[in-house]
Amino acid sequence: MSSTQSVNDIKRQLEAEWIRFLGINSAKLHSTSLEGSSPPSVFVGRYGYPKVKVGPLLPPVHGDTSVFDKPEMWLGKGLEEILRYRLALVRGTITMKVDEKSRQLESLQDMTMSTRPAEGQAIFEKSPAAEIQALRKAELDSEVTPFGLSAPLKSFTFNTLAASDRRIENAYYDTDLTAAKAMVALYQQGVEVSRISKLLSIGMLGIKKDRKIVPTRWSISATDSTISAWLVREINNNQSIDSFEVSQFSHLGNYYSLVLIPDDIWSFEMLEIWIDKNGRTAIASEYEGPEGLNHPPSIAGAYFAARLAVVEHLVSRGRKASVLVIREIRPEYALPVGVWQIREGAREALRRQKRLFEDLGNALSFACLNMSVSKAEIISKIKAFSVKAKQAKITDFVNYSAD
Amino acid sequence: MVFIARTKSPEEWKAIASAISTLVDEATFEATAEGISFRGMDPSHIALIDIQWPNFAFERYECDTVVKFGVRIDEFSKLIKRADKKDALEITLGEDQRTLHIRISNGYKREYKMLLIESSASSTPLPKLSFNSKIVLTPGAFDKVLSDVQVVSEYISIDAKSSRVEFSGRGDSGDASIALESGSEGLEELAVQEESKATYSLDYLSKITKAISTAGGSVAVEFSSKMPLRLEFRIANVNRIHFYLAPRVQD
Repeated sequence: MSSTQSVNDIKRQLEAEWIRFLGINSAKLHSTSLEGSSPPSVFVGRYGYPKVKVGPLLPPVHGDTSVFDKPEMWLGKGLEEILRYRLALVRGTITMKVDEKSRQLESLQDMTMSTRPAEGQAIFEKSPAAEIQALRKAELDSEVTPFGLSAPLKSFTFNTLAASDRRIENAYYDTDLTAAKAMVALYQQGVEVSRISKLLSIGMLGIKKDRKIVPTRWSISATDSTISAWLVREINNNQSIDSFEVSQFSHLGNYYSLVLIPDDIWSFEMLEIWIDKNGRTAIASEYEGPEGLNHPPSIAGAYFAARLAVVEHLVSRGRKASVLVIREIRPEYALPVGVWQIREGAREALRRQKRLFEDLGNALSFACLNMSVSKAEIISKIKAFSVKAKQAKITDFVNYSAD
Repeated sequence: MVFIARTKSPEEWKAIASAISTLVDEATFEATAEGISFRGMDPSHIALIDIQWPNFAFERYECDTVVKFGVRIDEFSKLIKRADKKDALEITLGEDQRTLHIRISNGYKREYKMLLIESSASSTPLPKLSFNSKIVLTPGAFDKVLSDVQVVSEYISIDAKSSRVEFSGRGDSGDASIALESGSEGLEELAVQEESKATYSLDYLSKITKAISTAGGSVAVEFSSKMPLRLEFRIANVNRIHFYLAPRVQD
């Protein structure tokens, strides 16, 4: 997708694509019953909390649909392709209280535990309705990946004979394990973050009496936040990196520059630069020192997604640093695809060849080179520098001599 | 290996645990024949606590080697807080050195066994400082000064002159200033070798002061211009609780 296209062109194109999909599948979709293969995937809305809409996501497609709901597989794909997956998922909804315990919830949990896509059938109260209006109005940077049609469910059945994931089973049946510890344990065993957030969302993790359904949007941030907070403790005794490092990557109209600064004390800051279609810019940022963040981040789930990517990178190298993430969001990011693109974008930047610098000034110059606002303006927004410049450390005085 | 530390009351442990909890989540104590000590910094390395608790301050103390034991400070506090003022408290290590045993007795006997955590190996050096000004206050008076400034500011400037010390702060909503002179209530001593002025984070100061003030005693504030400050909490039976705080570089 070329950046010379206007945002409206992109949106029109996506909408045309969507209408074409509805046309091709019209027979299947204009019915009160749908058969297909769930990736497996469930969605929990947040409106009406603590009574929320819960249900499976099911496309009118059979076979291996895993890619439809696995952001870890989406890197390098364009906006159209990702939306094609997402819009094909029909969302069935059942209203449940978040502390509900029912056979229906259990069968959604069974399906979520499956290692492979689950063939199933959904019977709707009425045929699914397209949320074209919602697509048109979609706000930038929703945390949740969008999807297409939805309808209230009358009933559903899934063939969950496929093997369950042993790691997930263990977490599910351990009813004395806190949700936080379960998330960390699953992560350590290599379960994808997107999978862990789904388990949390559908109430499969935590101490038995505390298990609850969690809206998908919140479950994603809770997972990124919990796992990365734990990883931050892991790097505490690591050695600092030696040079200033800059890593970059761009996809889907998002430009990432990650600056890793040699430091014995961990800190993390993320700066977001928004460019609207009229070329106006806005900058927002959030910062934490080694004691962590004690309020919800002003830039929401993006913050935790980037923090996770950065800290898992430091853990894998056995190093410590203080980190600045600059994210520029250009108008080509016409439709929000979910917070996964921040996590995967930052991970990809860190996998690529990094540039090394001897000093901070040159590292920042390079990091700001492709950004739409000046280095001076970016620096003026960075909190870490003023926080550190204004407060001495006790270790500065260890070798101090009064004469 | 023998390690037994018995006190007539849990109050010293409560003050120590609560002081440490203002800086870190996990604490490693070191016990030697001389007594129990702790030293640690907050994760930002802005503040440091140094505690020395000599063997003679205990009702009974035995330790024939160097023992390090690490605890999650909130879990440790929770158990200590179960003891009433007049309960005797005995702390020992389990045979395998993986658990801490806490016996609380005063007729009614309780024993907790707490799992120890891996203790951190790193040692924390003390800053080398000489102090030009010293202000000794009751903990109540010091806490009041801090709270009075904290309503408008996140930082406190201390300006010590020979017969007068001024505490001030400035924030978006306005300024605060408090003057204490020799003879002011709560001011026990003011000794100024050289006029000193410096600024410190109130968050750190008020947390530690609130944590220890219930133990009574007095607090000595020592500092020099633009240098770290040291609080010395003098509470009965613990020979030294020192709290160091690095200065703000600008106001």
